[in-house]
Parts: sequence; C-alpha cells; structure tokens
Amino acid sequence: MMKVTVLFFGATADEAGTVNTEFDLPADSSSEEAFDTIISTFPGLTANRDRGDLLYALNREYVSGGEEIKEGDELAVFTAVSGG
Amino acid sequence: MDFYELTTEPIDVGENARRIVPQECGATVTLDGYVRRFTNGRETEYLLYDAYEPMAVKEMEKLVAKAKDKFEISNIGIVHRLGRLEIGETSVVISVAAPHRRAAFEACEWLIKELKSKVPIWKKEVYSDGEVWVEGSKQEKD
Repeated sequence: MMKVTVLFFGATADEAGTVNTEFDLPADSSSEEAFDTIISTFPGLTANRDRGDLLYALNREYVSGGEEIKEGDELAVFTAVSGG
Repeated sequence: MDFYELTTEPIDVGENARRIVPQECGATVTLDGYVRRFTNGRETEYLLYDAYEPMAVKEMEKLVAKAKDKFEISNIGIVHRLGRLEIGETSVVISVAAPHRRAAFEACEWLIKELKSKVPIWKKEVYSDGEVWVEGSKQEKD
C-alpha cells in the first residue's frame, strides 16, 4: 500500500465532510483506480461523479487519464470551477 | 513585468494596471470584475471564494504564458481575491498592456474566459435564505 493526500474544495469538501485526508491505495494504482476508490469512500460524491460533474487533479495538474500514482502524491477532487 | 497572485485584501484596480506598463506600450486594458447584487433575479448578500491556491497560481501562470504567445501584447497582471467579498467589491482584476489596444482587448477577454473555466477557484453565493457553491460550466482541458 502507499499513502497519498486527497484534497476537496467548495462543494466536494461539503459533500465529503473534509478538506484534506490521507488515503491508503494499492501500489501501482492508476489515476482512474485511485479516484474510483476515493469517490466510493465518500457516498456524498458518487452522484456528482455519475453526472460527470467532477474534475480531478494530480500534483496540482489536471489529470488526463492513465497517470501512475506514487507514494506521497497529492490528489484533488472538485467541481467545475467558478472563479471570476 | 507579469504577475499572477491571490490575495485576501481589497484589490487596487488602478495599481494593478500601472504595475505592468513598459515603455513600448500605448494601451492597457483592465477588467474589473466585482460582486453582483442580483444573479438570475436572486439577491446575493455576499460571496465566499475558495481556491486550490498552489494549483490556481500555476494555472494562472500557464494562462499568462499562453496569452503572450497568442496575442501581440507586452505584459499581463492578474489578481484574484479570496475569502469573503461584499457586494461591489472587486473579485478579479486582469490588466493587459500592449503596443496597440486591439490586442489588449482581445487578450483580456480570452484571459477572463480561460480563468473562469480552468483556474481552480470557486465562489459560494450566500443569500438571506440559503447558500450555494456555484458550479462553472465544464471546461475543456487545453
């Protein structure tokens, strides 16, 4: 297993009930597997995911898919941004 | 000099524009985005802005680099405010200095559009009878 940090912001922080948590993932997880595991731990987020409303970042970059997650990585889950 | 920053302090719009101006420029376009009282007929009391700060700064840095590639402009300054903002307070300022105004207008419009779809910042609208995190329109990544 490996430890990663998971961050939530705005609406996903409300749904998850936290802004920042540590997570154990199987070694060699892909970004898809990692975010799947994370979302299924927070039932409040599954509806957002199923509507395709969530965005994912790995180490402060948007994920494009197929990234390999490593020990100590910083993952983030959030809804479409609304700054400005 | 370009800059891209987050702050919880009130933003001085004029200073934002002045900071970026080099000698070869003839025009600076500045967008002053501020808190609206009415959105779709509903009255807002105040806004709360949250951000994934290190990623937001990184994304703004990328936008500045891309805009300078894309438009005939010299310098760009962007400041986005976070935390609680009252009606009428400035939430975002984008200043673009260019030798000629047309490119500055175009770049400024492009930058605010990109910022609103890519930079990880969220606003919560707080009403007298409730509150909601505003969800932007789903972005295209690069």
